[in-house]
Parts: sequence; structure tokens; C-alpha cells
Amino acid sequence: MKKEVPLIITFISGFLLIVALFIPHEPFGSLQERFNDWYIIVSGFTLILGVDSLLLYHWRKIKTKDKDAPYSIILIITFITVLLWGIYSGVKHGNPFAPASTFLRYFYTYMFVPLQATMFALLAFFIASAAYRAFRARGLNATLLLVSAGLVMLGRVPKGEIVVPFFIAITLILIAIIFVLEAVARVSLYERLLYFALALISLIAIIPLSILLREYLPALADWIMNVPQLGAKRGLFIGIWLGAIAMAIRIILGIERTYLK
Amino acid sequence: MREFFERISKIDRRIIYLIVLVGVTIPLLTRKGFEFKPLPEVKNAYNFIENLPEGSNVLISIDYDAASMPELQPLLEVMLRHLFRNNLKVIMMGHWPLGLPLGQIALEKIAKEMDKKYGYDYVFLGYRPGIAAVMLNMGKEIRMVFDVDYKGVPLDSLPMMREVHNYDDIALLIGFEAGSVGDFWVQFAQARFGQKIILTSTAVVTPDLYPYYQAGQIVGLIGGLRGAADYEILVKRKGFAYTGMTAQTVIHVIIIALILLGNIGYFALRRMR
Repeated sequence: MKKEVPLIITFISGFLLIVALFIPHEPFGSLQERFNDWYIIVSGFTLILGVDSLLLYHWRKIKTKDKDAPYSIILIITFITVLLWGIYSGVKHGNPFAPASTFLRYFYTYMFVPLQATMFALLAFFIASAAYRAFRARGLNATLLLVSAGLVMLGRVPKGEIVVPFFIAITLILIAIIFVLEAVARVSLYERLLYFALALISLIAIIPLSILLREYLPALADWIMNVPQLGAKRGLFIGIWLGAIAMAIRIILGIERTYLK
Repeated sequence: MREFFERISKIDRRIIYLIVLVGVTIPLLTRKGFEFKPLPEVKNAYNFIENLPEGSNVLISIDYDAASMPELQPLLEVMLRHLFRNNLKVIMMGHWPLGLPLGQIALEKIAKEMDKKYGYDYVFLGYRPGIAAVMLNMGKEIRMVFDVDYKGVPLDSLPMMREVHNYDDIALLIGFEAGSVGDFWVQFAQARFGQKIILTSTAVVTPDLYPYYQAGQIVGLIGGLRGAADYEILVKRKGFAYTGMTAQTVIHVIIIALILLGNIGYFALRRMR
């Protein structure tokens, strides 16, 4: 019965919600509103469940004298302090976030906001470091990603079009050097000439490409965002939502039962 | 030579952190901005608000928290100024409970600055759990979800809310998004009830919202600090977002230069092997 009852509830709820969407008349018409009300209430209780599992997890760490127990002690003390402070401000001002509340002024504005913002701001450093380490033109796909990322990054910021010729020049000179080195390493005269020609084309391309990108970089960045990016995104979205529909049907029909574990 | 290429392909991360720190800090301290043209999606959002009749209700949803504050808070403030300047009425709510006070702080600050009165020109509803259910019920009757405001005052006691019942009474919804709530707004408020929506978002979220803009499901899209800076230009009040764009330009250039450097080292070492 431990499994059957939740499965029956899931089936009836899911089935009725689908019926309510297609038959907006009584007795199904008001079902959706009722389910939505219940959903809001249940969502509220999930917060309590979250708090309960968080505290229990850290309490166990303290009890078993885990090496990270000091952090758990700090978490529980902070939790209780913030809770009591919030309740006190709520009682005093009618709402813990009332403009005059010390909870809003001191805890939220001067502690919570800077801490959370700092955590997120650290991403700038990690992203720069990770991009430098991992973004290598290892193959065609990686190169395409790298070039389009660079164009969008510069095309979407002011004065990006002024900097781009500089990067284009460096990149094309490097490509030319690679072609020259390839040419030197070849034995066949035909291959040598071909690589020298490619090196020459790379060098000649610097000026027209720089002029073109200086003029059209923002438009090119917009095109990348609006056409290839959007096409890929749409494909992804369609795939994701088809998967979600399939999963919902599996859950309603009781084929997918992992949520019961 | 090999040593040189090895060095440029393995720069110590502390040096990179230092370069990033200097690259971001100096432009933010000097507060110097570059001129640039606003993006069309931002212009559309601005024009839509400009064309709203005086007294129209605008619902603002705060769906971000302090982590996304540098990108979205300047925009929220400049948009509130624009809305109040055009004598539009603001109803604020949100789906991120930890970010809602940021909306409340901005609302109180700008309302005071623009001499607007609570209950007459703006209302703060607060938070209710259950994103999709909240949106769907609001389409039928706002009181099914918010029967009182955040202070516990019944909605019917607030003069500007007496005639507001569902999305039909709301001329525009502006979502400030740092996650996926924007998708829900489009799927439920726009697709089911035809609500006009402008979405503003962090730069990371913006590409996910472009399909909605291109399909005409949202009337405007303001993405990241760039979008906020564009909006500041349009309302002719250049502020933090505008000057912040210089820092963004510098950091983008630094990241691309680092990537280029890393690739030079990578290719040179590969050839030497």
C-alpha cells in the first residue's frame, strides 16, 4: 500500500488536471483552481521540509563529531539567530522586511546582500581563469565556438569594434606563421606553394577583415545571437519539453517511480 | 623558446585574478562611459512603456536575488523612475523570496524620490509559493493569491487595487529574471491570458529568452548590464549600468586576450612536440 496509494493519487491528480485543461465546464472547470490552491499550500510546506532536512543533516554532523562539525555549529547558530531576529522584527514592525525593521537594515542589507553578491562576483575571476585554461581551438567545433564567442563578447560591448582589428591581426598573423611552418616542413613543391599562398592570403585578409568587422561587428554579433544561437536554442527547447512531456506521462501512468524512493 | 610558450600557456591563476581585479576596479572607480546605440529589443521595451496611457497598471515581478543585483538593480531603479514619470501605477510581487526586499527597497526609494503614494500609485504584494499556480490563479482573480498586501492590508482597502482583478486590468508585466521564472510568465501569463510582457534578465539568462522575443511573445527584452545601460541612455539618465559597461568592455577584452595567449602557447607547444 505504501507504493500503491501515492501512485493512485498521482494518476488521479495528473489525469484530472489534463481533463480540466480541455473541458473548462463543471465539474472539471473549477478543478484547476482547487488544485492550484492545494499546490500553493503544499509548496509552503516544502519550505518547512527543507529547513527540517538541513538542520537534521548538520545536527547529525555535530553528533558524530565530523571534521566539518564547526561549520555545522556556525550554520545552526546563524539559523537560530536569523530566525529569532526575523520573528522579533516581524512582531515589532508587523513585517520583518518593514522599512524601519533592524532585520532589513542590518541583517539583510549589510550582511546577507553583500555575502551573496560576493559569492557571485567571484565568478568573474573563475570564468576568466577557466576560459584561459580550457578555451582551446582543438578542432573545428571548438574553433567555431571560440570565434563566435569572441565576436559576440566584443560585439555586445561599447567600443568592441575598435579592439577587434587588433585581435584579428594577431590571430591572422599567427595563422600565417603556422602555414609558413607547414610549408617549410613539406617536401613537395606543390604543397609548399599551397601553404605559402595560404599564409599570404591570411596576411592580406587582415586589412579587409578588420575594416569589415570594425563597421559591422555589432550587426554580426546580433546575427549570431538571432540566427545560429536561436536555432540551436529552439532545438534544445523542443527536445527538453518533449522529454518533459514524456516524463510527465510516465509519472502519471506510474511507469516512472523514482520519486517514491 | 619552449620555456616562453610554456609560460604563456600556464599563467598562474593569481596573476589572472589580479589582472581581472584591476581591469574591473579602475573603470568602475573612474566612472567613465563610452557612447553606444541601444539594442532594438530594448528600444521596443522603452517605446511600449512610453505609449502606455497614464494610470495604466504595471505588474513588476522580482525574480532575482542579491547575486544578480549588480545587473538588475540599476535597471529596476531606472525603470521605476520611468514608470512613475509617466504616471503609471506599479504593482510589485515576486517569486524569489530572498530577492523581494531588493525590489521593496528600490520601490520605496524611487517612490519617495518621485513623490508617489502607497496604495494610490504603487503597491507591494510580496511573495506566495508555487510559481505556476500563482500565475494561473492571478489570471482569474489576484485575490485568490494575494488577498492582502505585504503589510496584511486587504487589497480592497488600497484605492488603486479596487479595480484590479486579473491580467485584463494589467497593461504590462515586467519580469526581472535571474532564472527560469521568465519562461513560466510567458507560458502561463502570456500564452494563456495574452498578457503583454517585457522581460529583463541577467546576461546568462538572456539567450534563453530570445526565442520568446523573436516569436513576438514578449514585447521587449532587456538583457544584462548592456540592456540596463541601453535603457539608461533611452530615459536620458546615465547611471551605474552605463559606467559599468566600460568595466565590462575591459573585462571582455582581457578574457579574449587571455584566450588568445593560451591558444598561442597551445599551438606553439603542439608544433614543438
